[in-house]
Amino acid sequence: MALELVVLIKVVPDGKEVFVDPVNFTLNRSMATNVLNPADENALEAALRIKDEHDARITVMTMAPPFAEPFLLECMSRGADQAVLISDRAVAGSDTYPTSLTVAAAIKHLGKVDIVFAGEKTSDSSTGHVGPGVAEFLEAELASYSRSCRYEDGFVTAERVLEEGVEVVKIPTPAVVTVITDSNIPRRATLRKKLNAQKKGIIVWSLQDIGLPSDWVGLRSSPTVVKKMLPFPAIERKGKVIGLDMMDDFVKELVDTGIIRQGGN
Amino acid sequence: MTEMKKAEPPQDISQYKGVMVYLDSFNNSLTRAALEMVGAGRKMADKTNEKLYCAVIGGSTKAMAQEAGVHGCDEVYGFDSKDLAMYRSKPFSDILAGLVNEKKPNILIVPGSKNGRDLAARVAVKVRSGLTADCMDLDVEPDTRILLARRPDYGDSTMSEIRCEKHRPQMATSRPGTFATPEPDPKRKFQVEVREIKLEANQLKENIVSFNQKNEEDITGSKVIVSGGLGMGKPEGLELIRKLADLLGGSVGVSRPIADLGWISREHQVGQTGETVRPNLYIAAGISGQPQHIVGMMGSKVVVSINKDPEAEMNKNADYVIIGDLYEVIPKLIESIEKVTGANPSPA
Repeated sequence: MALELVVLIKVVPDGKEVFVDPVNFTLNRSMATNVLNPADENALEAALRIKDEHDARITVMTMAPPFAEPFLLECMSRGADQAVLISDRAVAGSDTYPTSLTVAAAIKHLGKVDIVFAGEKTSDSSTGHVGPGVAEFLEAELASYSRSCRYEDGFVTAERVLEEGVEVVKIPTPAVVTVITDSNIPRRATLRKKLNAQKKGIIVWSLQDIGLPSDWVGLRSSPTVVKKMLPFPAIERKGKVIGLDMMDDFVKELVDTGIIRQGGN
Repeated sequence: MTEMKKAEPPQDISQYKGVMVYLDSFNNSLTRAALEMVGAGRKMADKTNEKLYCAVIGGSTKAMAQEAGVHGCDEVYGFDSKDLAMYRSKPFSDILAGLVNEKKPNILIVPGSKNGRDLAARVAVKVRSGLTADCMDLDVEPDTRILLARRPDYGDSTMSEIRCEKHRPQMATSRPGTFATPEPDPKRKFQVEVREIKLEANQLKENIVSFNQKNEEDITGSKVIVSGGLGMGKPEGLELIRKLADLLGGSVGVSRPIADLGWISREHQVGQTGETVRPNLYIAAGISGQPQHIVGMMGSKVVVSINKDPEAEMNKNADYVIIGDLYEVIPKLIESIEKVTGANPSPA
């Protein structure tokens, strides 16, 4: 039986196109186009590498409005076998709890799943909560912050990149693996796969399709709510200008205030 | 397993009292981030006149529990097992969720390290509550005991205040480096309870095959950081940055575009999508000062901006501003440091 792999993706605004408005110094993102969340590209590639070596089927999945469709087709053009779009007005405003719940319910609806891949976090809200949340709802093992992973005989071996070093873990399937940004080089789409993807199309599921009541999700069923926007806490910095001829005095000042120490004492 | 259902709030939220901090550890010692969170938790507990609980899980937790106590905790719960010497997602989240259900804290804060975020996300689902990630500020409203979790907005110089009004505990993570480490008080009174834990086979499916501790510098612990941005113009600029950093006994940092270009590894990236740092001295060379960068270094004691552009945003966030080309300024600065301090100064 083929391995069933799922890759969770999200479409996000392109961070590189967010720029500082030269007139009022605010950030302008009206020019920003949408892209596939960078870490999700690496998650898809990680799944494709498993498929390179094993008999596997890849389903790419997102919860989004229909504008995400071209991105799902792009994933299929790179080698995913099918794409599921969970699209329902009721999910609007969901925080990470109902998002994890919805995605987990859709994965369950898909049937048997061996490995779920997700990016370590999204570049827009960057919580990293949904991968672990899905693992919890599916009662799956979890290898978060992984830079590589292998599959063998019902087990996933992943290299987790942590603050203190690199940990290798071996977990049985079903497993969720979250993949770190830049951990591999995503392959390109091929023309043949692109044509196939367009022919095949996308599977669209509503909440009803996956058997989730609409009042379980969305803004009203999200524990967290954004209440207000505040400016960053003001940092009072004096901004004293130091001329190139004042460098010795400046260094003395840093020594006098204990910021750097006199050598040898 | 957590049954798939909506996050139903508890009937009576008045039962939920106090602040709980999960203490991150490695090799049987607390991480710096754990103590930073004890400091943040203590402030909130004082504001509402409630207890500060801490939870620590590991191979042997007693000494860590004592350390949390002298740093400001009232009641510390340690969970010991030979199987828990290293972080494992499933048993750790089971144990912390169990303690939450037992103690019913009003607020639960967790260090936003990789394992801390992994843990918090699972526990939030288990206890069916709300979690806010990467808070740069944590505060509590004394009368309502509502957690005000403030996190930076994507690509903006604003932060959102996020509330979890009906669900308990109100959960949040903050990145390592967000808060100052509190001073220990050896005379503080606190209680420690260490429990021996027996785990079931289904909690121990994760097998840790190996751990390769890295020798690379961890910039979040540095007292001096010299960071380079796009103003370097070429990868060789990092050699000059490194020279100044070495002279000051510090580390090399970069802004996001430099890490994106692949001139240096991601561990050196300071900012919202990189590391949060709070050194005594932060020197930003050729960094324009996007809000995403500022957010990652605003806790620094003294900030120096070296920039060709007098109008650079970075200058407005600096204590000292040196206008000029970094390729001229840094060699002069190095010369002055060598002259004033002797050849080998070290960070205070």
